[in-house]
Amino acid sequence: MSARTPLSAIALVSPVQLMIGGIIFLPAIYVFWLSLNQSSFGQAASFVGFANYAKVLGDAYFWKALLNTVIVVAVVVHVELLLGLGMALFFASGVPFRPLLLAIVLAPYAVSEVSAVVMWRFLFEPDVGMMSRLLMSLGLPPIEWAVNPSHGLAMVSLLSIWLHLPFSFIILYAARLSIPGDLYEAAAIDGASPWTSFRRITLPLLMPALLIAALFRYIFAFRLFSEVWLMTGGGPARSTEVMAVYLYLEAFRYNAFGPAAATGWLLVLASLLLALFYLRGLYREMFGKHA
Amino acid sequence: MPKLLRSLLKLVGVLAIVAWSLVPIGLIALSSFKADRDIFSTSSTFSFMPTLANYEALWSRWGDFFFGLWNSFLVTVGATVLAVAVSLLAGFAYSRFASKGLQASAFFLIFIRLVPPIVITLPLFPVVNWLGLNDTHFVLIVLYATFFVSLGTVVMRTFIDQIPRELDEAAMMDGASQFQIIMRVILPMAAQGMLAVSVFVIVYAWNEFLFAFIFTTTKAKTAPLVISEMIGAVEGVEWGVLFAASTVQLVPVLAFVILMQKHLVAGLTAGAVKG
Repeated sequence: MSARTPLSAIALVSPVQLMIGGIIFLPAIYVFWLSLNQSSFGQAASFVGFANYAKVLGDAYFWKALLNTVIVVAVVVHVELLLGLGMALFFASGVPFRPLLLAIVLAPYAVSEVSAVVMWRFLFEPDVGMMSRLLMSLGLPPIEWAVNPSHGLAMVSLLSIWLHLPFSFIILYAARLSIPGDLYEAAAIDGASPWTSFRRITLPLLMPALLIAALFRYIFAFRLFSEVWLMTGGGPARSTEVMAVYLYLEAFRYNAFGPAAATGWLLVLASLLLALFYLRGLYREMFGKHA
Repeated sequence: MPKLLRSLLKLVGVLAIVAWSLVPIGLIALSSFKADRDIFSTSSTFSFMPTLANYEALWSRWGDFFFGLWNSFLVTVGATVLAVAVSLLAGFAYSRFASKGLQASAFFLIFIRLVPPIVITLPLFPVVNWLGLNDTHFVLIVLYATFFVSLGTVVMRTFIDQIPRELDEAAMMDGASQFQIIMRVILPMAAQGMLAVSVFVIVYAWNEFLFAFIFTTTKAKTAPLVISEMIGAVEGVEWGVLFAASTVQLVPVLAFVILMQKHLVAGLTAGAVKG
């Protein structure tokens, strides 16, 4: 087999490798170089060492953006996993019209961030939106997402959970379906309560899928941009910015490519850190037999 | 009695799920047929005189939107064809050959998915401008395809693994070239996987906002970008027209996802859990 491996296999994988190498990898490296320089549009770069990082780390708006990102990611991912898990177990317990219901659950996957923002802004439009009126009739204060930063972030989180729940749900549901039914039968014969069989069978066997779903969602939620940009634009007064919005504003509004690049690399490093655990496992799986 | 209670709870669960998923979508689709005065009126949530006025206004005043739809369509088709084609080739190689170098490149493929898209806009923006490719379909096609070839390759590899090797070995005995084997033997049998990859790319490319926002301005701007401009008219958002546009943008891809849900699920589980 290995005799015919090289040339043809290299030719077959080269388009993919060229694309990601040329369009993701090299630019990402170049961003690192940019982050060590002072530069802007049409201006020659000059080396400044880690000054851009110092500048970013000394910027209160950066810390605000980082804090917002961490809060939103923590809320979105964990709520989403809980809801997804609940729904997966609910589906597994047998639901009427399962194919139809599955299609309904998947529907938000088809919705663009832009349309989702339209929907949720409409529902929560102050005074007149259906949800705003519902809150009022329950005697609850309205969600002032355009004025109150924490409300703005809550709206972004809600929107994000709604859009990505299908992903978490499918991963967990597929994993739940692959647990053999005899395990539950055996547990039932032994007189285990539903709660015990959940804790002793379902949860441990779902753990790998839960971790995978969590990891993917952490990484993808961390780069959150469109929902925030379209919902609040980062306002009022830059109070709802997240990392990607901060980066965008630095680069494309304030023409500060250096600090933007430094932010970009901090984003990359954070993603790597989050994924370290997963990558190590993957690396072992792929190379363990040879090494 | 507990049995009755259980079915009652189940019914509540089903209703909650349906409401959660469908109310936001259904409401804008429904409201897109309402006159302005009915949109925020409580009494006319379901009882109203349907009108096409919003769609007419969209057509006459936001011609840009339909142009955007056409751009979205071209970009989506281009990105899908490109991503599926290269993923098929790479998926085949990763399924049939094994060497340390290939494994390293597979690792690289997955590793690279960690880079956030916005990071690469910094160096690409000046390069794209310099090449004169700003505001072209080409840029979006290549970017969208690139961000899905990693997942695409993993999914294709999973599907091609299930095709018996004896088939391509037999074809090789008959003197078929590597390329002929892929086209004649693998491609027909890997159609399922190709569909799964297509679903991901189509949904992503049709809905993507960030790259379109940064790399296009007029000639290649996509439908989501036009809708965002409509939202951006902060003072006095024309809700009706906005609903009409969102509905037109949403319906084709929603129908597609529902039609292809089996492949979507297969692709998600193959790509995420195994890769």
